Amino acid sequence: MWDAIGLAFGLVLDPYVLWVCLASAVFGIFVGAMPGLTATMATALLVPITFFMPPVPAIGAIVTATAMAIFAGDIPAAMLRIPGTPASAAYTDESYLMSRKGLLDLNLGANLVFSAVGGLFGVAILILAAPLLAEVALNFSSFEYFWLAALGLTCATFIAQADPLKGFVALLMGLAIATIGIDPAAGHPRFTFGSVEMLQGVSFIPAMIGLFAISELLRGVVTIDQSAEMLKQQVGNVFRGLGQVWRRYWRNFFRGSLIGTGIGALPGAGADIAAWISYAVSKRFSKEPEKFGTGHIEGIVEATSANNSAVAAAWIPALVFGIPGDSITAIVIGVLYMKNMNPGPAVFLQNPQLIYAVFIIFVLANLLMLPIGWAAIKLAKQILRTPRNMLLPMILLFCIVGSYAMTNSIYGIIIMLVMGLFGWIMEENGFPVGPVILGLVLGELFEQSFMTSMIKSDGSLLGFFSRPIAATLGVTTILLWVYMLTRNARSRREPA
Amino acid sequence: MRTNDTVTGLMLIALSGLMIYLTLDFPDFPGQKYGPSLFPRILASGLILCGAILIARGVSARRAGLPWIAFADWTRDPWRLASFLMLPALVVLYILVSEQVGFIPVAFAMLLFMFLWFRARLVVALPVAAAATWIVHWFFATMMRVPLPRGLLTDIL
Repeated sequence: MWDAIGLAFGLVLDPYVLWVCLASAVFGIFVGAMPGLTATMATALLVPITFFMPPVPAIGAIVTATAMAIFAGDIPAAMLRIPGTPASAAYTDESYLMSRKGLLDLNLGANLVFSAVGGLFGVAILILAAPLLAEVALNFSSFEYFWLAALGLTCATFIAQADPLKGFVALLMGLAIATIGIDPAAGHPRFTFGSVEMLQGVSFIPAMIGLFAISELLRGVVTIDQSAEMLKQQVGNVFRGLGQVWRRYWRNFFRGSLIGTGIGALPGAGADIAAWISYAVSKRFSKEPEKFGTGHIEGIVEATSANNSAVAAAWIPALVFGIPGDSITAIVIGVLYMKNMNPGPAVFLQNPQLIYAVFIIFVLANLLMLPIGWAAIKLAKQILRTPRNMLLPMILLFCIVGSYAMTNSIYGIIIMLVMGLFGWIMEENGFPVGPVILGLVLGELFEQSFMTSMIKSDGSLLGFFSRPIAATLGVTTILLWVYMLTRNARSRREPA
Repeated sequence: MRTNDTVTGLMLIALSGLMIYLTLDFPDFPGQKYGPSLFPRILASGLILCGAILIARGVSARRAGLPWIAFADWTRDPWRLASFLMLPALVVLYILVSEQVGFIPVAFAMLLFMFLWFRARLVVALPVAAAATWIVHWFFATMMRVPLPRGLLTDIL
């Protein structure tokens, strides 16, 4: 194990890797701070670049950029009353009211420091939990993997979504799109309409760029000339008074980080939901709930710790089982597959140095957040003044070239465009796009483990419950379904 | 553009029907009653079920007075509507002409057009369009060796 850790340090402390992480940090801060550009979009835009890198810098770039983006989303929340990323939406009003009260410095300082420390908390749990879970997962067969994927997809559609039915439709669509191309069990081409390029299936990266970037751009262009009013206040010393905040609210920090880690590790729920729930919990158990909504720091401490700890925790199911914790790790899993580093417990045995490298980069990214975040706060007014009418066209060009680069043909751009329009229509009608990408990423594993299990058990569904862990996972999944269906039916009856 | 759930449901059912129809000629595994068609059929059945629930929901929403289809406010502003439609149109244009004309001229023209459309000043738009085109080309074509189409500039590059 120590050899692997030594190797991992060697991999990360390469000047090239450090340079990539630094550049991604700056990129992540910028994208996170720009309203309308999300952390998921940052990842989507990074992937075409990381495609050409070895695994460690590629993962390092995504880890650093997302951690930074989730923090940076707090900056416009405080200064413009617009969350930079959805993960900051839960406490945007609170933050802005705090700034209006003249507490801008304290607010930004608390956001920065508690984001970094909350992130480190999540990383600590990731480092402790992932290897232990991997040992359990080594005994898994196709039955367990089938149920695990089913459980992951169930959580993704039901727990996280406002409308479970629409989440489920989105998931089925993703799985259906994943069946295009050569089928994984028999090698028969499906839904390719005679096209040679469609034999390779719907390439994951152009699809993701379409769903997460093009659909954002489509929403962005119609508000391109609208800008929010910037706070006049100047930024001073952001670290003053934080000691006092810590002494008063350290319990909030721990509770927020714990909730964030738990929610982040759940498949399908990520940093934004972690922030909403921990903010609500904070208010519920506060000694002074009447101060919430007037520019009170308590809930901000809790929620800003929660969303950053969720970023790291989402990697637990992703690394151990290959099941994404949120949309960002769904993208990461796609990237890992492309790098032939198929996530799952086997990586922990075969390439432990890569896993340790991910851990080290996570620690590094959260430490790097303090100086870079501080600089970003100081430069915030300049960053937020970046003209969107110049930015959006450049992002569009980048998306086109990035998609083209994945297939080296127009096919990638066509996928991007179709998925972009599809994603836009879905979101307009209240269908979440996250489950589509989950379905697209997990589709092959899901179908393969299903078909393998079917063949093993000779078509009998009882085989899916023949092993103890598989049976437990299967029963859990089915219970979740029953619970959700009855709850759905009951809530339908009551308000009517 | 918000369509009533009935419309969405009908489209889902039509799509799933097509999907099942296309699986009809997939072969089975030797000695088994199922094959590559099983999984898509399960998915399509799920979508049909969801589509049916959506239709039921949509009908009751319609009874409550919601329209079949509703357009957002910005669609009534011609400039915004044109801005919105311009994005996919430009991507289609790129798909159609980039191979013949080449990446550099098409990208530069697209950027310049969009900058000016979004009311940037020409003195800013020209250099930024040129610089952005150059950086993207340098990064992808030179550094990453992506074969971006050369088109008209084949002899020069």
